[in-house]
Amino acid sequence: MNSGKLQEVLSQGKFAVTAECGPPRGANTEVIHKKGTLLKGYVDAVNVTDNQTAIVRMSSIAACTHLIQMGIEPVMQMVTRDRNRIALQSDIMGAYSLGIRNILCLSGDHQTFGSQPEAMNVWDIDCMHLIHTVKNMRDEGKDMSEFELDVAPKMFIGAAENPFADPFEFRVLRLAKKVAAGADFIQTQCIYDMARFKEWVRLAREQGLTEKVHILGGVTPLKSARMAKYMATRVAGITIPEAIIKRMEAVPKEKATAEGIKICLETIQEIREIKGVHGIHIMAIEWEDKVPEIIKAAGLYPR
Amino acid sequence: MIVGEQKPIAEIKDKVSSYSRLLILGCGTCVKTCFAGGEDEVAIMASALRLAFQKDGRKIKIEELTVERQCEDEFIKEAATAIARNDAVLSLACGAGVQMIASRFTRSPVLPGVNTTFIGVLEKQGLFAEKCMGCGNCILDTFVGICPISRCSKKLLNGPCGGSQNGKCEVNSETDCAWQLIIDRSKSFGQMDKLITYVPPKDWRTSQAGGPRKLVIEDHVI
Amino acid sequence: MVENFKVVSSITPEPVKIEQFKPKITVFHCFNAINSIADSDNVYCDIKGIKMPCSSITREVFLLRAFEAGADAVVVMVCPEGSCRYIEGNIWAGKRVARMKKLLDEIGLDGRRLNIFFIPQRDQTALNRAINQTMDNLVTLGPNPAA
Repeated sequence: MNSGKLQEVLSQGKFAVTAECGPPRGANTEVIHKKGTLLKGYVDAVNVTDNQTAIVRMSSIAACTHLIQMGIEPVMQMVTRDRNRIALQSDIMGAYSLGIRNILCLSGDHQTFGSQPEAMNVWDIDCMHLIHTVKNMRDEGKDMSEFELDVAPKMFIGAAENPFADPFEFRVLRLAKKVAAGADFIQTQCIYDMARFKEWVRLAREQGLTEKVHILGGVTPLKSARMAKYMATRVAGITIPEAIIKRMEAVPKEKATAEGIKICLETIQEIREIKGVHGIHIMAIEWEDKVPEIIKAAGLYPR
Repeated sequence: MIVGEQKPIAEIKDKVSSYSRLLILGCGTCVKTCFAGGEDEVAIMASALRLAFQKDGRKIKIEELTVERQCEDEFIKEAATAIARNDAVLSLACGAGVQMIASRFTRSPVLPGVNTTFIGVLEKQGLFAEKCMGCGNCILDTFVGICPISRCSKKLLNGPCGGSQNGKCEVNSETDCAWQLIIDRSKSFGQMDKLITYVPPKDWRTSQAGGPRKLVIEDHVI
Repeated sequence: MVENFKVVSSITPEPVKIEQFKPKITVFHCFNAINSIADSDNVYCDIKGIKMPCSSITREVFLLRAFEAGADAVVVMVCPEGSCRYIEGNIWAGKRVARMKKLLDEIGLDGRRLNIFFIPQRDQTALNRAINQTMDNLVTLGPNPAA
């Protein structure tokens, strides 16, 4: 396998769909099989998180390998919080050898949020360095010490961007920096504030960035008004406009999930119409069973 | 200066409880300026411990002494006789000073009374803040005078991260996001575009990660 | 903390007596607040007065040493909020007293033995009330366990 399906879809100018799979808090492969089975065929690739929110879970590289064995293409997420450059480069090579073709480079959430806040953090390198490193390993066949690698890992390189974090004016500059460092695709934080997202894409387009990198807009279906309010106030980097919270509050509890999915579908439809956005990244955390329904209703099935 | 905070008195009481003659040794430099271990703090601690032990019906003799600083032999040798006539020393110096006492006065148990925390400044009255992490290779000019190693929770050289909100760090809403500060100051210098320049990975060998460090000044050694 | 800064007007100015012991009370006072502690009417306690030119002279170590010298209660008397001749003296005194109260709690001596009172200039009634409030506290607290 040279390039994966995700790279193929995007390079052919088609609208890509990715989803997310959180590994189990233990060695239970059943969890991965279950989630994989739900998503298989409905998405081009599945992101596997790397100890997300610093909660200790099965490693991303292992969970990705289980997905490959199921015939599903993973995107291995890699944070620089827990491992130094030695371990990261080592895992990039290992990942490629196991058939992993996509890497999403992240700095990672601070460990004080996680299940073991007493832990030391690493951050030997940041996500910008990681993007640069993977690119170098792929294109020059060299590691960070300029050592020539015995088979270069040819990864499709992704990064995350958050158009909803501050400072806004800097978010496009940072996107440009990631593109220059080597990012091939970008997945954004989940979109509720469509106006702000559109503005961010417009600025990116103006700078020619949408020609150089594939942007996939993040979407997360809301389950309830409570979830909406929690995310709006307690999760860093997520903005939810009052109007959406009001919509969720206006419906009776039994109708909440339906309304959440309706909003999600509207968001997907709007994203499809934005010039320069080449796909969506669905983060239906612990709600993976809704993904097939959403993909179908959005007219994105079959893939 | 080096900033530290006094340990809770209950913890100190526990540490010194097995001694009947205790010397509380203060330091007149860094810990004095952050009100953790200067002469005044020594006096308060001595009085508090006496009261605490008296209340328990325990006899403890506490001597008080403060030297200019505990990180230099020149000053700590003045404490020699006081240390010799006590069973233990409770040092209110920073970790460096405590170790200096321990290495010079090898027969005396030395206990730390202060938790040394960071290299920082007195930002305004009553507020000390961490500024420097001693990385050994200062490139503050790259960051318009704001250090992302010590002041960014993730040590990002190409920040900010996605958790920066309203100019505050995701880890603590009272902590300024260092990258927001860097961006703001870059903007004020008209140098926002410089921030697109990729800052390469750090060579950590000059930091403590490369092993405990030394500085030798050749022309001071005969 | 607020109750330390106002003398409760419901406290009677009549001297309080404790049957079990005759308390020793040390009073650090700014001379602008009260002229002399000897002006106190309570004969049921041994009061020692320490005059300060400003309440900002209140130093933590002196408060503790008063307890070491055998005081059952220590009182700081300062000018009311806004009336400090040196503007902030009473504020600093209040902060230091608060810190020492906490320390006294941590060493098991009970922070209620130490209190600060705002005394309007040379107000005899307020002075007596402050002493009585202190005596009232001592009924519960008893003598200094470290004396």
